[in-house]
Amino acid sequence: MLNRSERIADILAGVLTTLVLLVLYAPVFISAIFSVVQVNDGRIMWETFSLQNYVSMWSNPSVVDALSNTAIVAASAVAIASLLAVLLALYAEWPGVIFRRGIEIAIYLPFLLPPIVTGLSLLVSSSQLGISRGLMTIIVGHTVFVLAVAYRLVLTRLQSMPRALVEASYDLGASRLQTFRFITLPYLASAIVTGAVLALTLSFDETLISVFLAGDRMTLPLRLWAMMRVGFTPEINALVTLVLLVSLVLAALVASRLRIGNSNPE
Amino acid sequence: MERLLPRVLLFALAACLPLGLVLLPIGTFLVLSFFHMENSQIVPSFWLANYANFFRNWTYLGTFLGTLWLCTQVTAICMLLGYPIAWFVWRRSGTLRYFLLLLTVLPLFMSYIVKLYTIRSVLGLNGLLNQVLVGLGILEKPSLLFMFNQHAVLGTMAVLYIPFAILPIFLTLERIPANLMEASRDLGASPWSTFRYVVFPLALPGTIAGALFTFVLALGDFVTPQMVGGTTGFTFGRVIWSQFGLAYNWPFGAAMAAILLATALLIIALASYSASRQRI
Repeated sequence: MLNRSERIADILAGVLTTLVLLVLYAPVFISAIFSVVQVNDGRIMWETFSLQNYVSMWSNPSVVDALSNTAIVAASAVAIASLLAVLLALYAEWPGVIFRRGIEIAIYLPFLLPPIVTGLSLLVSSSQLGISRGLMTIIVGHTVFVLAVAYRLVLTRLQSMPRALVEASYDLGASRLQTFRFITLPYLASAIVTGAVLALTLSFDETLISVFLAGDRMTLPLRLWAMMRVGFTPEINALVTLVLLVSLVLAALVASRLRIGNSNPE
Repeated sequence: MERLLPRVLLFALAACLPLGLVLLPIGTFLVLSFFHMENSQIVPSFWLANYANFFRNWTYLGTFLGTLWLCTQVTAICMLLGYPIAWFVWRRSGTLRYFLLLLTVLPLFMSYIVKLYTIRSVLGLNGLLNQVLVGLGILEKPSLLFMFNQHAVLGTMAVLYIPFAILPIFLTLERIPANLMEASRDLGASPWSTFRYVVFPLALPGTIAGALFTFVLALGDFVTPQMVGGTTGFTFGRVIWSQFGLAYNWPFGAAMAAILLATALLIIALASYSASRQRI
């Protein structure tokens, strides 16, 4: 079916795709190799293989501290953003909504604008209000950043919900609260979870907003950045490999959930 | 329709967080951009001096224009490489297509700082590339040629942002109905003509939107130029960042961030206009 020029174009594009994918995934392989073996003059010394770095990493108090900060920030930001996303989506779809466009622009802006703008606008306003920088300000920054994706997923799901479900619930005598609890919320549940995992992935890696809001508290990416400036230690490679694996697993989870969501929209 | 008072109350409740945490802070820093510094204190005033200073001083304006040029190059590289990749993935089918799409999208979620770290560990003075080249006898001693220059910044940004270019192109290609391509072939068009007169024009608005978003991402980046560019990578984002750190002139930094914001908003508006022109 394919003619010759089409086949050549396919092969060329395929070669390009392979090369670019190799470059894009190089960080995973490079850091994974550097974390378990020593490399001298570009030659991998397989005999030096050890998992020591993965063990010694945990005895570095600054790494453990950064990890727990990241966990606190991500958990709080994701929880707040998911809750807000549901409330705002319900409000946006409510017939009495006012100024929906304006609210949606405010929700999407932190995701679209350069992070430097979001970061320093929160920095400036928190210092005007006399709030000192710390985990609280990072949580606020992450919340406004991830709210966009959580909101988008919940809203799309809510819009696909058949009116008949809610009407049937009212006809059967359910109150508004009961309808929300037993009809709407279960319908939205999968979108809320997908949004939360996606938000978690983003919060876990967020660097450019956090750096404005962190003060002297460090999240994991900020700690890595600080360690990078000092120099390279094999320990960083172990940490970096783990960070990449966590991100990839979370992202793959989102992708599989989205795919399932698309194939049976029930 | 509900009565007005409950509507307004509910609006206030729903809108307070997005407006208070997003629009209000942006407003605050815009106001700050008119203030000025006196004896390292921020003094409220209505000065245009910060903006005048930016446009009069070639160091700042030149950096801004240089950054726009850098981002244009980054976007061009991402588009030139990203388009064939998106096209290739789009032409696959079934599981292979999904798998390839996943492979191109996943790097979006790989930590930004980690990517910078590994790029540095490849290109740096003690990096993998130097070790290999010295080991093979191609280089006498490790060279700084691969890092701390504009090419390194350009290449690194292209690697960081290419997944952002591939995804929107793929998504617009995917929306083209298959029967349009079949009709084109039935009417005797060669594969090249089908691409040139059917696929490319239909995907163009989405492609332009993708390019503009890639541009905005590169525009705001202030860490990459520092980490791989060293002293040569002095971009606009970095200049703004320095005003909030070492240089300590928040009002001036806010004024330059306002210029960045205006540029970004203009580009985002162009992108959404372009996306709205999509006819499929």
